[in-house]
Amino acid sequence: MDEESEAPRVIDMTTSEKVVDLLNQAALITTDEKLTVLKQVQELIINKDPSLLDNFLDEMIAFQTDKSIEVRKFVIGFIEEACKRDNELLLRLIANMNMLLKDDSVNVVKKAILTLTQLYRVTLQWLVRSKAVPEMQEACWDMVTQMKEDVLALLDSENDGVRTHAIKFTESLIITLSPRTSDSDVPKKQEGDISLDKVPKDHSYIRYDVLCEEGKTALDKLLKFMVHPAISSINLTTALGSLASIARQRPMFMSKVVQAYETLHANLPPTLAKSQVSSVRKNLKLHLVAVLKHQGSLEFQGQISTLLLDLGMPQSEITRTTPALREQRKRPRHDQYTEGKKVKIEPALIEDDEDKEEPAPLSAPKPPAVPVPQSAIDVTAEFLRPLLNPENVANLVLISMVYLPDIMPASFQATYTPVESAGTDAQIKHLARLMATQMTGAGIGPGLEQSKEKGDDAGKDEGADEDAGGKDLLIKRKVPAMMGQAISVVGGYAKQAPSTEAPTAVKRVPEPIIPTVQTKLAGASGRKKVFRLSDVVQPLSEPQIEKMTSQTIKRILHSEKAIAQSGMSHVRVKLLSRLVTQFEGMMKDDVLEFILDDIRTRSDLAFSLLYQEYNTYLGQLPTGLLDSYDHCLYTLLSGLQEKPEQRDGLFTKLVLEAPLITESALEVIRRYCEDESRVYLGMTTLKELIVKRPSRQFQYLHVLLDLSSHEKEKVRTTALGFLKRMYEKDHLRDYIEKFALNYMQLLVHPNPPSLLFGADKDTEVAAPWTEETVRQCLFLYLSLLPLNHRLVHELASVYTEAIADIKRSVLRAIEQPIRGMGMNSPELLLLVENCPKGAETLVTRCLHILTDKVPPSPELVERVRDLYHKRVPDVRFLIPVINGLEKNEVIQALPKLIKLNPIVVKEVFNRLLGTQHSEGSSSVSPLTPGDLLISLHNIDSTKCDMKSIIKATNLCFGEKNVYTSEVLAVVMQQLMEQSPLPILLMRTVIQSLTMYPRLGGFVMNILSRLIAKQVWKYPKVWEGFVKCCQRTKPQSFSVLLQLPPAQLNSVFERCPEMREPLLLHVHSFTLHQQAHIPASIMAVLEVNKKPEPKPVEPSEEKEIEPVPDSSGPVEAEVSAEAAEESEPAEQQQAAVTTTRDEEESMEQEEADPATHEETVDTAPQVESADGGDTPSPQPEPEEEPMEASEPEPTDHQEPPKDDEAADVSGPETGSSGEDTE
Amino acid sequence: MPSHPLRVAVVCSSNQNRSMEAHNILSKRGFDVRSFGTGSHVKLPGPAPDKPNVYDFKTSYEQMYNDLVRKDKELYTQNGILHMLDRNKRIKLKPERFQNCKDKFDLVITCEERVYDQVLEDLSSREQETLQPVHVINVDIQDNHEEATLGAFLICELCQCIQHTDDMENEIDELLQEFEDKSNRPFLHTVCFY
Repeated sequence: MDEESEAPRVIDMTTSEKVVDLLNQAALITTDEKLTVLKQVQELIINKDPSLLDNFLDEMIAFQTDKSIEVRKFVIGFIEEACKRDNELLLRLIANMNMLLKDDSVNVVKKAILTLTQLYRVTLQWLVRSKAVPEMQEACWDMVTQMKEDVLALLDSENDGVRTHAIKFTESLIITLSPRTSDSDVPKKQEGDISLDKVPKDHSYIRYDVLCEEGKTALDKLLKFMVHPAISSINLTTALGSLASIARQRPMFMSKVVQAYETLHANLPPTLAKSQVSSVRKNLKLHLVAVLKHQGSLEFQGQISTLLLDLGMPQSEITRTTPALREQRKRPRHDQYTEGKKVKIEPALIEDDEDKEEPAPLSAPKPPAVPVPQSAIDVTAEFLRPLLNPENVANLVLISMVYLPDIMPASFQATYTPVESAGTDAQIKHLARLMATQMTGAGIGPGLEQSKEKGDDAGKDEGADEDAGGKDLLIKRKVPAMMGQAISVVGGYAKQAPSTEAPTAVKRVPEPIIPTVQTKLAGASGRKKVFRLSDVVQPLSEPQIEKMTSQTIKRILHSEKAIAQSGMSHVRVKLLSRLVTQFEGMMKDDVLEFILDDIRTRSDLAFSLLYQEYNTYLGQLPTGLLDSYDHCLYTLLSGLQEKPEQRDGLFTKLVLEAPLITESALEVIRRYCEDESRVYLGMTTLKELIVKRPSRQFQYLHVLLDLSSHEKEKVRTTALGFLKRMYEKDHLRDYIEKFALNYMQLLVHPNPPSLLFGADKDTEVAAPWTEETVRQCLFLYLSLLPLNHRLVHELASVYTEAIADIKRSVLRAIEQPIRGMGMNSPELLLLVENCPKGAETLVTRCLHILTDKVPPSPELVERVRDLYHKRVPDVRFLIPVINGLEKNEVIQALPKLIKLNPIVVKEVFNRLLGTQHSEGSSSVSPLTPGDLLISLHNIDSTKCDMKSIIKATNLCFGEKNVYTSEVLAVVMQQLMEQSPLPILLMRTVIQSLTMYPRLGGFVMNILSRLIAKQVWKYPKVWEGFVKCCQRTKPQSFSVLLQLPPAQLNSVFERCPEMREPLLLHVHSFTLHQQAHIPASIMAVLEVNKKPEPKPVEPSEEKEIEPVPDSSGPVEAEVSAEAAEESEPAEQQQAAVTTTRDEEESMEQEEADPATHEETVDTAPQVESADGGDTPSPQPEPEEEPMEASEPEPTDHQEPPKDDEAADVSGPETGSSGEDTE
Repeated sequence: MPSHPLRVAVVCSSNQNRSMEAHNILSKRGFDVRSFGTGSHVKLPGPAPDKPNVYDFKTSYEQMYNDLVRKDKELYTQNGILHMLDRNKRIKLKPERFQNCKDKFDLVITCEERVYDQVLEDLSSREQETLQPVHVINVDIQDNHEEATLGAFLICELCQCIQHTDDMENEIDELLQEFEDKSNRPFLHTVCFY
């Protein structure tokens, strides 16, 4: 914000003010801007006005603790610039550098290393020049030296980048701390840089020899670093480059460098990937070429070009890069190479003719003199060369075959090139050298011994030390090689040896190298490993081992939290599961218990364990046992099952993800399902199993099926619900159906099989069938029924075979399913049509259920009608469909119907009158209430006893809502007009009048008209007539007066007490009126006891006469007697006054509630069934009426029917007795 | 993640197709990127395999474009050269030669082994001064448009991954191994120093 306003001012400020201003800004702004500002400051105080440097140094350095890495790096850069500008500042700043060198950020450290590379030289240069000896300077130098050591130590840093920088530092250090010679390459920019040769040997605290020594040590460190077996490819590349530049700038080290290259080439680190090997080889080639170009490499041209050849560089190119030979003036001291070559060249050529077309002899320039100090490798190589005859080489190859790794190492694969100059002397020499390198590396060979013996040369000693160091490393590399890992040592032999067939003189058979190396190795390690584990330890006892393992497991178990925090819980889980499954014993239980303690958070362990167990089982499959897995799964599942509350679907998850569900696991699942609070979840799981594990789905399905008859209702209904859904699946249907059928068919056994009581064997238990056991067999089947209507036939056939108790239970149970099927079900209609023998009650029950709430369909009516007419003439079939029948059919059936059990009759009437259904009955009865009542009156008394008819009419009168005064008036009107008059006419009239007294006028009218119809000719009616007149006393007087005298007299005979009131009535008339009354009437009225007996006699005779008239012609001769027998009874009944009738109806009402109590919900139908089927001493005759085969209803059939009707309707004894059963 | 954006150079032979494709994508992804060729000349396909169009590195893309339009517009439209040049000229003025560039990079990506060798040779022939490391990675890409596009995406992904490492030098080895496995091609990789 302020910057803009301040900007113009800055221009006018002095540099110093500007710096102050910038520094102030820098303290407050973001990193990016801070860097910009600080760079400005640096520019100002270092380049523009160095005088300010001192003033602001502290302020700048203060930023070295800045949070930003970039700012800290900048500070390092600033220190470098400042120190270069003013060396004196080193005294103040070197300590800061030291701090930064130990920064937390690797990037800062790297930057510090880079800067120190520069500053080391700067410091040295500065201190060498200044002759003064302030203590400060010496301290500064000490610190720099210390820092140098620190950086060298960083070669072992864990960070790849830091190591890389440390290598570069080392390179620079080596160059600085070694003298520049005439053949040194000197980079132009480093022309003025200090090197050892510029260090005075008389400096007070900077010692020339110490520095020289430090330089050599550094080189050794670098070389040692390079042969580290696990060196990263980048470090190796860097080191290769460093060596190259060291070799060129300090040719004095050429020998070591070339040797290092050789060693490396033969021993590429096994850790390198294939592409890294190529990269390294490419680098090696590049640097070799660079070294080769340097004139100092002349002595090593042979070795270098062999390496280059191996690296795949064409000979021509090698030649091109080799510097001209004019420099060969160097001392040709050892001419062995040259000699050897010249001597052996010819045989080599011969060999080549055989082997290869291109002879490719080493056309390298004449090998120059051997290096001045003959290294151990050289000596050993010299020693080996004559020994490498075909036989020895072949032996070497054979021996080394044993140690070849199984898989070709990437490094070998990449480096392998066919040996072009096989068998040539040059090649043998190369091979000898390669072997010598390895042997020296391994610490053996004459060269090494020789150099040790000499011991006079410090450099040699160093070399030996280095070799010793190298030896350790080589040992390290060899050990994995024995174990089949990549190793280049052996690879090198394998590659080279087969081709060496040059005929060389055999001097003696040397010991095979590899074994020698091995024994040496063994010896070495034996000496080191005085300590042998097996010597000092005792085997633990069994219990100890067990205890320790279990404790170990427990520790791992309880380290849950700590491990979770470290984010390594998956490792712990895996570890645990693998450990535990491998051992028997308590551990498993411990772990399982641990899991169950908090299964929710430890489910991953549970799963891991389970899978591991299963895996173990699979691993030993042919013989393996599932026990352990089973135990694991079982424990987990039952643990979950027993947990009181557990909402998440862990149980389900475990079941569904378990690789295998064992028997006992299934048992747990079953138990889970039986738990009412979890039944749904359990069965959902079971369902998933059935669906998702097809191979064993029937096993699972069976469990579910079993549960479908479970005693707990919730369990059962849930299971049924699931089964119904599964039943829709084609592949499961058969099984479910078969199971259901089997179960249902158990009902044909006389006693329930023990299967129903949980036992598995199909034995019968003596216990009788109970409602419960019957239902158990039926639940599934019945719930399937609405889904597959065809099943109903099998139900019927089982029904016919079952005993009566079962039948009753079946009838009670089928309501819901039958309703579910509906009356349009073709199968159900078929059942009705076929109605198997013995299944009549079942069919009837079905019909009732179907028509309970809805009117029957025409199809159903048709089937029932057929059945009734053609096969089973049991009128009870008709009841359910009665409203679907024609009017005349109903009327025809009425006599039979009303003879049934009064409750059944009541139901029939309810249906006919539409009083049954509360829901405003859409069914239209074929008979109007009036029609019904009239039909009842017209029932032929030969077909039905009067008692039943009376009872039936009473039922009608009971329905006051239906039989209103209007309806009754119409009925009476119609009945009256009939001829002959129905017997019960007057009874109905009186009944109507009782119900509706206001009908009095109408009744009088009826009575008058009856007189016209000579009512006295019908004794019963006449009796009623009189009774009626008696009841309607004052009103009826006018009617009575209309009677003929004889009849009036008859009236008085029956009711003498009527005479007086009637006479009084007449007397109350006016005279004129009295005149209208015939004298005969008056005579009857006024007669006093005298004529009484006379008129009565004839009237009685007259009364009796018509009786045979009315009944006689209709009745058959045979039945006449019976009719006569019954008639008196009827007469008695009819004679009984209305009070008697009322009593009867009272009785019925009493009977009703009684039966309702006994049969819970389905009263009348069951009763009828009972009546037909209850076992009795003679079941046959009782069933007869149902049988279609029975001949036409004859006299013979009548009696049992009557009996039955009597039984049924009989006041107390028969029906109620049976009901209670 | 390094605090400063990665300085990337993409190098192919002629600084036309592969390096430019990658340059294009990388710059769109916000990298500090430059592209180079290592060849002595800029070569573009001509009417026949043995008759390439040769330019020096001073010729701008625009000039090459116009030159080719003049020579055979249809041919060079059809083989996509004109389209490529058109794209290139919108990225920068003219091709650049790696050996002539003295700027410093953190990462140099080469598009074929020959170029990698040339880059290495050049870098190691320079005199070392600051010793700042530069990683050189070779990703082999065939010199055609499709491969160039695919390769550019691979390079881009590689750069993004390197950019996102906490400590590039420490992790690059592993990263490259992963990439080798993933892309199923070997990468040459080395480090040089300025």
